[in-house]
Amino acid sequence: MRKFFPVEELARDQRFHQITMKDRMADPRSALGTATGERQRSNRLVPSRPDASQAARALMHGIFVGEIQALEGAGRTCHDFRTQGDAARRAQDEAHGADVDDVDDAVPFALKLDMARQAWDEARHVEISVKLSDWMGSEIGEFAENTVLFQAACSTDPILRLAGVNRALEGLAIDVFTTMKEFGGLAGDPFLEFCEDWMLADEVTHVKMGSDWLRKVTEHDPDRRKKALEFQSVVDKLFSYGGTRSDSQESPIGLARRFRELAGFTDTEVEEIAEVSLAALDERKAAVARMQAAAAVEHTLATN
Amino acid sequence: MPVSVSPRTFQFVHFDADLIERVATGLTGALGFDRPVAIEVDETTPLARVTVDLGDTVTIHVESGAFEDTRRPRHQSEQATAVSLGRVLLRARDRLVGGFGEAPADDQLTLAQRSAWEAYCAGRLERLGLAVNQQRFRYDFRNRHGFRDTADLAFERLWHSDGLTWGELAEISRSASADAA
Repeated sequence: MRKFFPVEELARDQRFHQITMKDRMADPRSALGTATGERQRSNRLVPSRPDASQAARALMHGIFVGEIQALEGAGRTCHDFRTQGDAARRAQDEAHGADVDDVDDAVPFALKLDMARQAWDEARHVEISVKLSDWMGSEIGEFAENTVLFQAACSTDPILRLAGVNRALEGLAIDVFTTMKEFGGLAGDPFLEFCEDWMLADEVTHVKMGSDWLRKVTEHDPDRRKKALEFQSVVDKLFSYGGTRSDSQESPIGLARRFRELAGFTDTEVEEIAEVSLAALDERKAAVARMQAAAAVEHTLATN
Repeated sequence: MPVSVSPRTFQFVHFDADLIERVATGLTGALGFDRPVAIEVDETTPLARVTVDLGDTVTIHVESGAFEDTRRPRHQSEQATAVSLGRVLLRARDRLVGGFGEAPADDQLTLAQRSAWEAYCAGRLERLGLAVNQQRFRYDFRNRHGFRDTADLAFERLWHSDGLTWGELAEISRSASADAA
């Protein structure tokens, strides 16, 4: 079976339309203010927002496609890397051209078991998300699928992949599920609150698995750990979606500090993510301001 | 009655002013509008608010998200265009034909009243032949009136009604909310 599946070839039917983060960032429109560093009105996803139902439906669909990609990512991790001590598999790989000296990508069997468990959880989350989307009046594929989540799961280094998927992606899931659970509670939606709470518990476990394995596998390799944490920081910034997730009330999704702590993030790590997220928000606002200014100049030239 | 759309060309989104005009013309004809309609699109925001000023000309202010294809950001959806315009045109017609004189201005409506009126409009649009996702409006109604059977019954009544007055509509909304309290 093929290893290291590229994001462009994810299997989807005709209902899905995929976009990249580059597409999303090229959109010159913005619901955010354009003054960087200045915190403006609240965009937090709460029922009192006039567009709350539509925004919740869109976010729920984002969760649904995120769960599909998380399932694909965890499943790939079970298969893409060799198992430490698996001589038969090792011989098979070498027969197919693997470098005899290359053992960097081998991971403990227990890590693969955790990834298999995670894939099982994600499959269940996909099913729950489909039912919740139906409950909220959404159709499968109604919103564009941003493939950035799976892109973080394409690293050929298993430790970078753990940092990208289990700590950054699943960390974002903690923030998103916390926001949706609170939304369901405030709106009095019994199914939404209940389902999000259950999925949130799984996500905390997934992050914890990532945190534990990252520390264990890199215990005697500080350089590799440093590299993995740097990669996580880059992914965290991407997953802040240009300001969609941060401590600022301008962001629809907040940073779930307590659940992140339970998942094994240190206070320092949470603070770093908070800073990265705010930086992403300001960078997005600056980019929108530049694009809108350029469009205004173009418009002036076209009309004169 | 004439329909105008501005701007005629778009810089931020891939919208077609002729398509908007054609959809709006079909709707105003089906709804029996007796005055010109001007549609002004704000393409600088992805939000989806639609507001209306009633005068000799009915002026509709649309944020670009209201006409957008959610599958393909920045591209237009004919269905979203029709449903967004249809809802606001029906609300405008309700105010113009009478029976809605006591209705607060749009920006003074409570979220519950607005969702009730939206349900009433969307049900009529479905009967006009537009593709409308009923569950989407039911979910919004539940968010504003409570997740319980009595709210669902109120929603069904609004969805299947024609010729309601503001007093009747507001009472359906109020009683559904009162039950939730």
